[in-house]
Amino acid sequence: MILDTFNDAAKRTVYSLQEFFVLAGKALGFIFVKPFYAADLFQQMDAIGVGSLGIVLLTGFFTGMVLALQSAVQLQTFGATDYIGRLIAGSMIRELGPVLAGLMVAGRVGSGIAAQLGSMRVTEQIDALNTLGTDPIKKLVTPRVLAALIMMPILTIINDFVGILGGSIIAKVYLGKPAALYWKTVFEQILSGGFTLHYIPNDFVQGLSKPFVFGGIISLVACYFGLKTSGGTEGVGVATTRTVVTASILILVVDYFLTQVLLAVFSP
Amino acid sequence: MTDEEDRRRQQGERRHPSEKDETAMPRRVRDSGRVRAAIRTELEEVAEDTAERRPGPSEKLGPGPRQKVITLEHIYLAFESPILEDVTFHARQGDTVVVVGESGTGKSTILKLILRLLVPDQGKVTIDGDDITHLKFDDALKVRQKMGMVFQGAALFDSMTVYENVAYPLREHTTLDEDEIEARVREKLQFVDLDPDRVMEQMPAELSGGMKKRVGIARGLANNPEIMLYDEPTSGLDPLTTATITYLIIKLQRELGVTSIVVSHDIRSAFRMASKIALLANRRIGFFGTPEEMTGSDDPYLREFLGGF
Repeated sequence: MILDTFNDAAKRTVYSLQEFFVLAGKALGFIFVKPFYAADLFQQMDAIGVGSLGIVLLTGFFTGMVLALQSAVQLQTFGATDYIGRLIAGSMIRELGPVLAGLMVAGRVGSGIAAQLGSMRVTEQIDALNTLGTDPIKKLVTPRVLAALIMMPILTIINDFVGILGGSIIAKVYLGKPAALYWKTVFEQILSGGFTLHYIPNDFVQGLSKPFVFGGIISLVACYFGLKTSGGTEGVGVATTRTVVTASILILVVDYFLTQVLLAVFSP
Repeated sequence: MTDEEDRRRQQGERRHPSEKDETAMPRRVRDSGRVRAAIRTELEEVAEDTAERRPGPSEKLGPGPRQKVITLEHIYLAFESPILEDVTFHARQGDTVVVVGESGTGKSTILKLILRLLVPDQGKVTIDGDDITHLKFDDALKVRQKMGMVFQGAALFDSMTVYENVAYPLREHTTLDEDEIEARVREKLQFVDLDPDRVMEQMPAELSGGMKKRVGIARGLANNPEIMLYDEPTSGLDPLTTATITYLIIKLQRELGVTSIVVSHDIRSAFRMASKIALLANRRIGFFGTPEEMTGSDDPYLREFLGGF
């Protein structure tokens, strides 16, 4: 009995994974296939990118400040407060910027996409697209995935910059460090990690490959749960919750493995 | 009536409550029987009354034999349990076939099979003589362009205006310029008795149920399809709006010669618009014929079904 239940659950999981990867494959494949829904793409870039700007600015700024505060206490015990810029730049660019932007976008954009597609599913709008001779994946999923892939790295760059800026304010106000010294150590950190293709700092490669992956995870998970919605408005709520939980967990888990790989490949 | 009962009646004796009369029906059942008989009579009248006015072969199609446009042959479909078994019927050019049946019998599934949104386990669906059962996804999209579909809840895209909704299939599948698209949208909205200047810029959320249905029909018609499919077009509408939608479906058939499949449990509207009625019962087509043949049938289930309405 227990074995049967376990067996059924395992089959369902494998089937869901298969469906997810088929959706991902189609959505990414359609990027290069006509017709291109440019208006939908720009609309989604606006919704994902511009729409998330406020929340990302706030998150980045306060994370940078609190990171500077905590670090200052530790660095003071070693008399190494001159290096606070290095510490904040490294943390924000490599780790906190991408992950926090990812989690914020998963909450704001992922839930929105899942709710929108879920509502379209339960009100037969997805079926209507099908009957009007349009592939819903091409029309709805591909623009959202592409928009997330483009906008997540941009949001992360903004998040990183604002975080480092927040750190500089704390360094000046709390530690009395001049801004010039702070930014000099920030650039030292960026340059110390080595370069890819002679010109691109490894920190940038690491810091920007993560949000690219996270953007894909968030948009695909949201579209998958949105399109799978069933059971009326209650189903829309379930899809939204599943999206935020699954995308957030995946971001944290994938971040660990991605960091392992990136450190192995791009270690100075 | 038994001799004993006759004697008691003549003598004015009353039956003791404890005595059971196995031949007598409870009052409620008797009344229900009378109501059912009355409904059957009304439907027979509707069938006869509308027989002449009901869409026969459209004037657009001219005389001569009409070819089969939609055919379902020995369709079997099951998900966790069987849905359809050996379902066979067809619609000739210009026919309006109404699929009726009790709720949950798989009526809407038939539309999904015709649209090739579902693939039968056995049997085949042909459109214009072409078997669509094993088409690839892209080819199925092309076949769907021959069809217009009106959904139960209209399924208008709620992020688009009425104009954008009706223009959607034209922008997707034609090379018409914006002026031609606007002219076509106006024409279709007028066909469904809506004032284009009033509704074109409205969002679906601002429309009433009947207006949504009409915009849904206009969107389905935008590409001038050969086939129209309707899923419960009159459900949830008041009697007046129901009559309007029924009239529109008849008008479409008469003026444009469109072949239509209508899934409905509104038997009165079905009788008014149908060239043929297909009754889905116990996963099979229990009856396929004209409304007059249906009301004239002695089949007990058919009598029971019609009485139920």
